[in-house]
Amino acid sequence: MPAANSTSPLPGAAPAVGVTVESLSKRFGTFEVLRGVSFAVQPGEIFVLMGPSGSGKSVLLKHLVGLESPSAGQTTVAGLDASDPTTRERVRMALVFQAGALFNSLSVYDNLALYPREHRLGDEAAIRDRVMRALQILSLENAAHKFPAELSGGMKKRVAIARALVMEPQLLLYDEPTSELDPVMSATITEIIATLRQRYQVTSIVVSHDRDLALAIADRIGILMGGELIFLGPSADLRNPTDPRVADFLNPRIDLEHPRFKHLET
Amino acid sequence: MPNTLSASPASRGTPSVTDRLLTWLPTPVFQVLHGTGSTLLLLGRTLRHVPSLPRQFGRFIEQCHLIGYTTMPIVGILSFFIGSVLALQSGHAGENVGYKQFIGALVGLTMARELGPVMAAVLLAGRVGSAIAAELASMKVYQEVDALETMNIPPERMLVLPRLAAVLTMMPVLTIMADLVGWFGGAIVSKYTHFISIEPASYFANLRQYMDFSDVLNGLIKAEVFGVTVVLVCCNIGLNTRGGPREIGASVTRAVVTSLILILVLDFFVTKALM
Amino acid sequence: MTNNPQQTARVGLFFLLGMALIWVTFETLSGGKLWFKDKGYQLVAGFDSLKELKAGDDVRMAGVKIGDVALTRLAGRRAEAVLRIDSDKRIKADATATIVTQGLIGTGYVSIDLGTDAAPFLPAGGEIRTAATADLNSVMAQLGDLGRKLEGALGGLGTSLNGDSRQPGLLQKVDTILTENRENLSRTTANLQQITDKVNRGEGTLGRLLNDSRLHDELLAGVTELKQGATQARSFLANAEELVAEVKRGRGTLGALVYDQKAADDLKASLASLREVSEQLAQGRGTLGQLLKDDSLVRETRALLKKADRAIDNLDDTGPITAVGVVANGLF
Repeated sequence: MPAANSTSPLPGAAPAVGVTVESLSKRFGTFEVLRGVSFAVQPGEIFVLMGPSGSGKSVLLKHLVGLESPSAGQTTVAGLDASDPTTRERVRMALVFQAGALFNSLSVYDNLALYPREHRLGDEAAIRDRVMRALQILSLENAAHKFPAELSGGMKKRVAIARALVMEPQLLLYDEPTSELDPVMSATITEIIATLRQRYQVTSIVVSHDRDLALAIADRIGILMGGELIFLGPSADLRNPTDPRVADFLNPRIDLEHPRFKHLET
Repeated sequence: MPNTLSASPASRGTPSVTDRLLTWLPTPVFQVLHGTGSTLLLLGRTLRHVPSLPRQFGRFIEQCHLIGYTTMPIVGILSFFIGSVLALQSGHAGENVGYKQFIGALVGLTMARELGPVMAAVLLAGRVGSAIAAELASMKVYQEVDALETMNIPPERMLVLPRLAAVLTMMPVLTIMADLVGWFGGAIVSKYTHFISIEPASYFANLRQYMDFSDVLNGLIKAEVFGVTVVLVCCNIGLNTRGGPREIGASVTRAVVTSLILILVLDFFVTKALM
Repeated sequence: MTNNPQQTARVGLFFLLGMALIWVTFETLSGGKLWFKDKGYQLVAGFDSLKELKAGDDVRMAGVKIGDVALTRLAGRRAEAVLRIDSDKRIKADATATIVTQGLIGTGYVSIDLGTDAAPFLPAGGEIRTAATADLNSVMAQLGDLGRKLEGALGGLGTSLNGDSRQPGLLQKVDTILTENRENLSRTTANLQQITDKVNRGEGTLGRLLNDSRLHDELLAGVTELKQGATQARSFLANAEELVAEVKRGRGTLGALVYDQKAADDLKASLASLREVSEQLAQGRGTLGQLLKDDSLVRETRALLKKADRAIDNLDDTGPITAVGVVANGLF
């Protein structure tokens, strides 16, 4: 990636990193959320993880940033164990939370400035430059001094992405970036994800059940169902799925004559 | 239900004898042990960040403002009436026995050694402890704490350390004010209650005759212990909140109740230790 | 995140105010000296008994607190109190320390008098002169002892007459003995009369006690023996009256008593010890004697002796004096 440094929003960006997931299993009590999931994500790739609600997508994402530790198996980021808290100190990973997880007590500007301030990345002027650039990328300059409570859902997601960008991440993880958004805003966010990868070559893993998003920007797609990976391959392979479960998930038929509605008839 | 709060990676293999013993403990006992342990671990993790305190100066000032400045009025009002009631009760009880002239010493010692620090700590738990637990629980529930962790900003450094430093700084101030306001409350009641009628001059002369700064110091040390306990317990309970927004309220209740119990239990042991 | 400058200023002001208040409290309560008390200097005071004195009690000079008892210890055959005196309070070498027991709560303090101007000051670590004060307990014990003695004496007298009261001829023997002891008896009577006179005139402790009407409501416990003595005397009196009546009625024979030398000896010895007691009282020896002479005891023993005067009343009205008088009148 020779262009990485020159096009980085912020100076000193390190190269993107790869991710591996090996036979990852996770149990909560007796409930098994993940059952031996394995895949690998190449540096600079956009990997979209799809699956129905409750299939364990978000839990898998949390393993990658070390917020959960596996019951069995291993996850690595840049070759380092992701459950080791020191990995965070060596690899800059940013997670865009589903609800944004913005600091409600801080203004948008302070939300973005928190990371460089806490890690002492330059004086206030340098931090200001850095924050304003990230805000510009997401067209948020006018929201800098608003508080999270004053923002709409779509704005919150963009602020969350901007906050992730300020970290100059080597790995950018999105948890349901387009959920609860109208189609226009969903498309905007999808474009932003694609643009960020295109301009900064950041490795991106997107957890979503938005089929349009996946088919539009994913290099490869994984489909998680019941804690297992039922599909793993380039998005082109999804145009004609062989597995009926995958086909059902991507193109659910709306069948009002389904037997489960029989008892509703009087 | 077995005790599964401590589902750690280490317990994946064959459980050790200790772990099996812990599983069989009654749940309340287990929770007390779990709470004690996690609070102490939180203290340990927080103390590791003490060198970065200067960088948290802004938050430290903010917390000082909340813990000290905005808590002062209610501490003042409460200790004024505590001091007054002490004088009134002892004056009433002592009227026939003839220890009326000792009211100054009685109110002075009780406020300085016991009620000043305890009342300051109780109000701290109610006013600041609940706010801490609510804020941290909400940050936890809305994944702000997770966000901090992914940003490699330890929550202990940013959320716990400034509060701990602020309470250490502000408790002596709150306590000395509680003491003094209580003393004056007692003096006023002693003068204007017809069956006591002791002039402030002799009230304070008596107080000074039987009191030493070590009595006040004793109270200040107790207050520091209480303050640190309240802040740590409330931070810990807040940060350990799991589940949805409904759990925020439950955490606040638990934090305040635990703080109040600990204040009174520790009061006994600290008093004994300082004797 | 930036702080409102006003907020920062408020916190600063609040903190400084708190520290100032702590400092003021420190100055006020401990006089600015580093905490805990003025170390002062020490003096040693030796006593036979420290009574209820304990470490931490006050040391007062002319009623003003000048220090406290640092520790109490046994040193050979005496008890010592180490006194911590404030550095700015000097004590004259001829000042005397006494232990005072405060009534209500029962705590004690060491009282030191001012001494005289001429005397030098006591050096640190020096030993202060002490004086023992009579304390209530020992007075009570001695009074009880005295009561027992009186009882013994009167009891002996009673027995020697009683044991042979139904024997005829007793009159002769009594007559002889009384004649032989007339001088003794009259001296005893005189002594006792002297005491009663003194009491009536309000001299000495007993007199003062009797004149103080408030004393009537106090404790009696310590003088039970005295009362028993009086009771004994009363029963003796009854016996003696009975005896006189029998003699007057001419019952019994004289011979038996004349030859009963042992009874006579007993009677003689009893009368002798009765005389001894009354003489001691008159001369101011023994505890009761001291009580009669020593006005200073009044303060301390007032409470106890309030009831004692009732016992004395008994002695006065129906006590040994009258008993002897009845015997004498009946016979002569």
